[in-house]
Amino acid sequence: MRTAASYARCVKGLPRRGARSPRVYYSSMWTILALVVLAVGSAPPAARAQVEITWSPSMVKGPTGAPVTIVEFSDYQ
Amino acid sequence: MTEYEGRIRLVFKDRPLAMHTLARPAHEAARCAGAAGKYWAYHDRLFAAQPRFRRADLLVYASELGLHSDTFARCLDEHRFAADVDRDVDEAQALGINSTPTFLINGQRVIGATSIEEFRAVIEKALRERR
Repeated sequence: MRTAASYARCVKGLPRRGARSPRVYYSSMWTILALVVLAVGSAPPAARAQVEITWSPSMVKGPTGAPVTIVEFSDYQ
Repeated sequence: MTEYEGRIRLVFKDRPLAMHTLARPAHEAARCAGAAGKYWAYHDRLFAAQPRFRRADLLVYASELGLHSDTFARCLDEHRFAADVDRDVDEAQALGINSTPTFLINGQRVIGATSIEEFRAVIEKALRERR
């Protein structure tokens, strides 16, 4: 197993000063990914809009136990 | 309705569009008729008379159906059912229903006056799903 110092020396073209080794970048990337997964996993489920539909008994036709209910939103004009 | 008698329940909801200035009193008037047990008869009369919905017209339709003129006129003038119409409009807006007619058939949305075949297809599908 190479040390971080020896690994950096194997990468050609990298300046010796002021540059981080690839291992540092990979490590940061995995940390960020882990944080994203954690954040997504712990987020509450998206709230689904629920609208309660009310109706007046005089504006209903058909039996209460009917298998199909048609709600008609309409305009007289 | 006749074709599917006993298997369908129809719920009418008020959705007067803001651009239809005469619609609002008509919706309130229908509810006044409903309070006297004549909602559907008045509903049919309104659609037949569309768009003649001035106050005098609404009173004539009520009279034709045998509703008590004074009681009906008072109900209309006092806007007794305005809050109920508002509630329907609020529900429609919350559901994103901005055009009429819009139908919810066991929750499935059908927008506009579509063909009877399309209606049948959606109803049949809803019936199959409930079996």
